[in-house]
Amino acid sequence: MADILLYRPHFVAFIILFLLGMYIMVVSLNLVKKLIGMYIMQTSIILFFITLAVKKGSTIPILLPSVTALTPEAYANPLPHVLMLTAIVVGVSTLGVSLAMVIALYREYNTLEEDQILEKMK
Amino acid sequence: MTSSLPGFLFAIPFFAAIVIPVVGFTNQKLCRPIALGALVFLSIVSVIGLSEAVSHGPLSHEFGGWAPPIGIEWVIDGLSGLLMVAISVVSLIALVHAGPLVEKELSGRVIPFYSLSLLLIAALGGMVLTGDLFNLFVFLEIGSLASYVLVGVAGGRSLLSAYRYLILGTIGASLYLLGVGYFYAETGTLNMADMAQRLPDVLNSRAVLTGLIFIVLGLSIKMGLFPLHGWLPDAYTYAPDSCTPLLASVVTKVPLYAFVRIAFWIFGMATVSTQIPILVVLGWVGAVAAIVGAYRAIWQENFKRMLAYSSVSSMGLIMLGFSLGTETGFAGGLFYVLADTLMKAALFGVAGAASYQYGASTVTDLARLRRNMPWVLAALVISALSMVGIPPTAGFFGKWHLVVGALEAENYFAVVAILVTSMLTALYFFRMFQRVWAEEPLPLVEPHVLETPFPIKMSLGVLTFGIIALGLGSDLVMGLIFESVIPKGF
Repeated sequence: MADILLYRPHFVAFIILFLLGMYIMVVSLNLVKKLIGMYIMQTSIILFFITLAVKKGSTIPILLPSVTALTPEAYANPLPHVLMLTAIVVGVSTLGVSLAMVIALYREYNTLEEDQILEKMK
Repeated sequence: MTSSLPGFLFAIPFFAAIVIPVVGFTNQKLCRPIALGALVFLSIVSVIGLSEAVSHGPLSHEFGGWAPPIGIEWVIDGLSGLLMVAISVVSLIALVHAGPLVEKELSGRVIPFYSLSLLLIAALGGMVLTGDLFNLFVFLEIGSLASYVLVGVAGGRSLLSAYRYLILGTIGASLYLLGVGYFYAETGTLNMADMAQRLPDVLNSRAVLTGLIFIVLGLSIKMGLFPLHGWLPDAYTYAPDSCTPLLASVVTKVPLYAFVRIAFWIFGMATVSTQIPILVVLGWVGAVAAIVGAYRAIWQENFKRMLAYSSVSSMGLIMLGFSLGTETGFAGGLFYVLADTLMKAALFGVAGAASYQYGASTVTDLARLRRNMPWVLAALVISALSMVGIPPTAGFFGKWHLVVGALEAENYFAVVAILVTSMLTALYFFRMFQRVWAEEPLPLVEPHVLETPFPIKMSLGVLTFGIIALGLGSDLVMGLIFESVIPKGF
């Protein structure tokens, strides 16, 4: 445990973010707060992927025409970035759909609290 | 063998999903013919794909001209071909069935309904065909987004169930993505075939174990495996009747496919049964899910909610079959997937027809069907008997193979679990029969229409015929599964 804190402090931060997001999603009764929790959770995963790409002393993965000898160790891994670009798009579309649902729910029940909506449904 | 067929299978419903809003904007009547035409075409092409894959070996397609370990590869092999055929044929029937219902309950939303259904089918196809773990995540989310909206498209009560489905589904997808991240960090690849080769070297790492747990948890939420089925009963109960046959039959089966692909193809039978014994855990979970789902179904008044719990129970049975660790158990599980796809489409189809004509939603209301819906009742009886497991229906042969697989594995607990589930299933369907026939007929209410519309009758007829045909032809299907689907290592 101690060496995780020492050598991988960012992982601890991601775990906290992930659990925080999940906690808000589960506990909060407000529909928009749940979505905020959802977005925090997704962000922690995106950050986790991005840190997988980091190498010590590496540079951005752009191949300059002047470079002739290719050394993969000198560049950061570009794949996680590209994957997370897709994951961000997926997250944004999920958020869009969910906000649309929240708006529709608000129009119908005039509240954003889940317990009040359930009461009005009876 | 290289072929562009996998990409083609995705492109057909996807382009139809784009064309429908464009054309429907000027003429709404054209939506349905375009959707059905695309699905007929898709069914034909997927049957061709399956037969090609069975006779000449897997067909693969590389996107963008990049060779597999680096580029994205799509594959039709026995398993994905078989599921693709099931998805395309059942969704075609479900959309034929949906026609009159859409006009009644979603009259202003015909365009979104067809467009989203096709998007959903395209995404399910993408999930089944892809050979890349991250690509699978993207299609998982596209398909899920389409199904959230289909659940909530009618507004009102269904919106909150759709919202809850979205929250839980997103947790599931995030867990899956996290698991893929662990695998990628450990193996450096996302291609399934490549990962299967690299995983044996790193099996002892804790990252692989944690990643697998995350993936199984995430996919279990998506497939509605007890005890993570929380979203399922509400979503199926309140979703519009026109959407439930499609949602209930295929949407949960495809995350199950993803699990099977990861467990048996990437990890391999030997690993998941001994080195990382998740199959033991999932066997127990499946047995409990099957029994508890069926038990909960007994107490439901609402017909669709009863069927939703029955779906939870079926998913447990299927999971139990896959986790038995014998060839027959695996094949039985897969056969039951096909059988359950047909049975759930038929049962939810009956629920839709009953609510369309009489506004019937509870089990007791079904007694109204006695008056002038004999054909719908016949479909209900046959699919219910198949759920219980009466020969010669598909459900009987599915359960038969599961029991034989459990006996081969000498897992007598599983045998008992399957039999108890069958009995509980019999209990809730016979309770339904008792309500329909043994009690006094309900006072007459004015039906919405006197005669069941032809598309509903036809699709229910085809599904019922399919249930019996799959049962009678079970040797043929099982032969196909044994010959070209069973993974190596059993």
